[in-house]
Amino acid sequence: MVIPIRGDLLQGTLDLLVLKTLNWGPRHGYGIARWLEDTTGDALHIAEGSLYPALYRMQQRGWIDAEWGVSEIGKRIKVYTLTDEGRAQLKNEFAQWSSFVNAVSRVMATS
Amino acid sequence: MPSFKFWRSRPELEVDEELASHIELLTRRYLEQGMSELEARARAHERFGERDGVRAQCTTISQRMEARVRRAEYLEELAQDLKFALRTLRKSRLFTVVALSTIAIGVGANTAIFSVIDAVLLEAPPYANASRLMVLFNSYEQEGLSKTPLSAPEFFDVRATMHSFDAIAAMRPRPATVVGNGGPPEGLSAYVVTPNFFQVLGANAAYGRTFRDGDGIANGASLVVLSHALWTRRYGADTSLIGKAITINAAPYTVIGVMPPGLRFPDDALGYAKSPADIWIPSTYDAQNTPPNRGNQNLIAMGRRKPGATDANIRTDLGLVSARFKRELPDRYASLRAKNWHPIAVTLQDETVGAVKPVLLLFGGAVAFVLLIACMNVANLLIDRGSLRTREFAVRLALGAGRARLLRQLLTESLVLTTFGGVLGVAVAKILVVVLTRLQPGDIPRLSSATVNGSVLLFALGVSIITGLLIGLLPALQQSRTGLAGAMNESSRGASDGKSRRHTRAILVGVEVALALVLLNGAGLLGRSFAALQNIEPGFSAPSAMTMYTSLPRTRYDSAYKIANFYEQLQNNLATIPGATKVGGIYPLPMSGEGWSGSFDIEGVPENPMEGPHAEFAAAMPGYFGAIGIPIVQGRDFTAEDKIGRELVVIVDEELARKYWLNENAIGKRVNAAAAPGVFETVVGVVKHVRTEKPEAFGGPQIYLPYMQHPQGMIYSVVRTSVSPNTLARALRGAVELLDKDLPVSKLQSMTEVQLKIVARQRFNMLMIGMLAVVALVLASVGLYGVMSYLVTQRAREIGIRMALGGQASDVRWLVVRESLWISLGGLAGGTIATLALSGVLGKMLYEVKATDPATYASIAVLLLSVASVAAYGPARRATRVAPLEVLRDG
Repeated sequence: MVIPIRGDLLQGTLDLLVLKTLNWGPRHGYGIARWLEDTTGDALHIAEGSLYPALYRMQQRGWIDAEWGVSEIGKRIKVYTLTDEGRAQLKNEFAQWSSFVNAVSRVMATS
Repeated sequence: MPSFKFWRSRPELEVDEELASHIELLTRRYLEQGMSELEARARAHERFGERDGVRAQCTTISQRMEARVRRAEYLEELAQDLKFALRTLRKSRLFTVVALSTIAIGVGANTAIFSVIDAVLLEAPPYANASRLMVLFNSYEQEGLSKTPLSAPEFFDVRATMHSFDAIAAMRPRPATVVGNGGPPEGLSAYVVTPNFFQVLGANAAYGRTFRDGDGIANGASLVVLSHALWTRRYGADTSLIGKAITINAAPYTVIGVMPPGLRFPDDALGYAKSPADIWIPSTYDAQNTPPNRGNQNLIAMGRRKPGATDANIRTDLGLVSARFKRELPDRYASLRAKNWHPIAVTLQDETVGAVKPVLLLFGGAVAFVLLIACMNVANLLIDRGSLRTREFAVRLALGAGRARLLRQLLTESLVLTTFGGVLGVAVAKILVVVLTRLQPGDIPRLSSATVNGSVLLFALGVSIITGLLIGLLPALQQSRTGLAGAMNESSRGASDGKSRRHTRAILVGVEVALALVLLNGAGLLGRSFAALQNIEPGFSAPSAMTMYTSLPRTRYDSAYKIANFYEQLQNNLATIPGATKVGGIYPLPMSGEGWSGSFDIEGVPENPMEGPHAEFAAAMPGYFGAIGIPIVQGRDFTAEDKIGRELVVIVDEELARKYWLNENAIGKRVNAAAAPGVFETVVGVVKHVRTEKPEAFGGPQIYLPYMQHPQGMIYSVVRTSVSPNTLARALRGAVELLDKDLPVSKLQSMTEVQLKIVARQRFNMLMIGMLAVVALVLASVGLYGVMSYLVTQRAREIGIRMALGGQASDVRWLVVRESLWISLGGLAGGTIATLALSGVLGKMLYEVKATDPATYASIAVLLLSVASVAAYGPARRATRVAPLEVLRDG
């Protein structure tokens, strides 16, 4: 089943995942989807279309840059690169994420 | 770096393309996993999820990014252009100074005239109902005097009949003198008004109150409302004055209110109400106890039209008034004599400033011409500079700058130029407005309130921008048209491009000359007209005549005897002044703006109801004719013995004598001019005719009554002097003080000043147009000079060859001067046609000179051609100094 991304938590999480993915190197949207699928063992089951609004938004904020490139089947496709600003943002969001996970884990560990 | 370049195509298409690529990649993946085409496609769509929403979101974001990029790009280019423009202006100092001052003059003159037009025609007066006020008159078209105010019975009848006004007020001027409270006795401009006067205006008192119904009629104390100006000037802005009494015309009046500053209605001359009010006094009668005399038409009536009332409603109402008057009083309103009588209503705006409107618009047109000339001059300079910068532009074109981009840069430069020029222009305007208000003849209403205010600044900004576009566009178009190859070839002088540029410039200067010619012709015509006015013999001798006005308050001088006695003594006192050779007195004084005319009867000639004899009247003291220099051609002057109780006498002018007693002796003839019906005055003298209204108006026949038989309560004393007239001002005042130290003295002026005042408007018009024409001529000759210099540079090689081949310096000079003359002749032809086309505008302002006067046109043409030759002579001389070898080598 495919779950559309909804809500602030998941939205923020998606941004974090995309930033993290691009941290490994430039990729097009399809590439990002594949990378996420492979690393999570397809556990997230996201609707891949929902990646794009996130990508455009992050580009507007200056976290990522886009440039036209050529896909594996020879079609024009946009390739996204992490900017310095995006890298800083990734660090920031990752720190927040970690403290969130830590907090939740600590609560869970009390039982 | 310029990754945004890709975003130039339409964002939604790019979004589609990207999303489609994704889906295709997904489909290929499923195909590779062994699915059928159909299945793979279905799976891909499922995996991708909902598509339309994604697409919409992405498109919106993408469009926003695009707009932001464009904006940033635009601002960056603008900053670049500005920086570049400033740098080029700094680099070519001379150009910048000349261009800036030219623009400053053009914009400044326009802004100054606009501020006058704004103050006089556009700005609302300081009372709420200004736009709804209309003034009511009796109109007697085609009967000499075109309109008169209303008499009291007429006013109350009109008020009862007209319903398109929600209120109608009336006012009349009344001489008043205030004494006491420490100040010297002071003649005031006072108005007797109906109690609803201030309500009709829509003005409230700043302190205290205005009048209420019944004020002035009840038998209580007399009331007065003060203007802010008088209150501050004479009473030190003392609020405790309200409720106290001040002494006006020797009687106590209780101050009930002070109006706000600036409100002195009538602020502008309104009919015979000439001066702004110092005080207002309520009228002492209402509809019930109206003075019955319909001949005493002294009330200026003003109605406030109802919000919905149309012009047609008002016409209908006026028709009702007319019908009623003709029905009730056919003798007065329906007789043959009154055949053209009808009541009229004129808007207050038309009544006060309607007459100056064409003059102001004429000035507006003239300054617009100056601005156009200034624009062309600067455009010319820019083209000149453009020719120096051709290579710079060629390089930039070659480096890929778009033509539109270059155009924008050139426009930015000219706009920067005019913005600075505009700022300087506002400073120029500020000075000009001060000069204008000083120079003004005093009869342009509200001119003194002209300032450089917000709307004027906005106007200056608008003019600067338009100027910038105008002067930028022409050179810019020329510049960007220059092809790359052509521009690179520019190094070869005299190339076709240089030629086209020279033609453009010649045409521009030709138009400048034409525009300047129109102004010069206008100035020449006004000047000749003014000279003609000055040359008119008024019938009296103005030099070494001094005049002074006094008016006796009726409260203290309450009998004809007292008035006559006072003026007889005054005349005796004046005669003792050292330097005074002849002394007299008159009311009204010629060319003082005051007039008195009426009908009279001649003994033995039956009354003619259609057209009775009509004359200008004046009451003269013995000695008046000698003092002012009017020759007595027959009979005698009045003497001290022509007084009340003696034989009634008159003196007439030659015109009257000629008109009614052509081949007879006028002396001894009898007329009824001012006596009771059936009683006649005997003509004892005939004098030369005098122009009494203004120099250009010959006027009608004249009758002089002996002042001592008809004491008026006011007089202009006239003193012929053996010294400079104005030096006796103090002595004249002293002669009055000796008799009555509470009596105000005014209008102490020489007869020459009186005469100047009456032609002040014409003088002002002439000076204004004259100054503008001079500015235009200077600008146009600067333009000519510039073009000739350019020509010499352009044709240096040709000139060099001519010189090398033994050409005479005079030939070379002629070559240049000839070109200048050709341009000027072209301008001359165009300008003459334009002047003829516009001659109708000026025609009404001219006296004795026709707007198509060939003599004026010819002399202006000569002037222009001489200036053109002078302007060309400098560059022509320079041409002869071209060193042949150098030019040939450089070429």
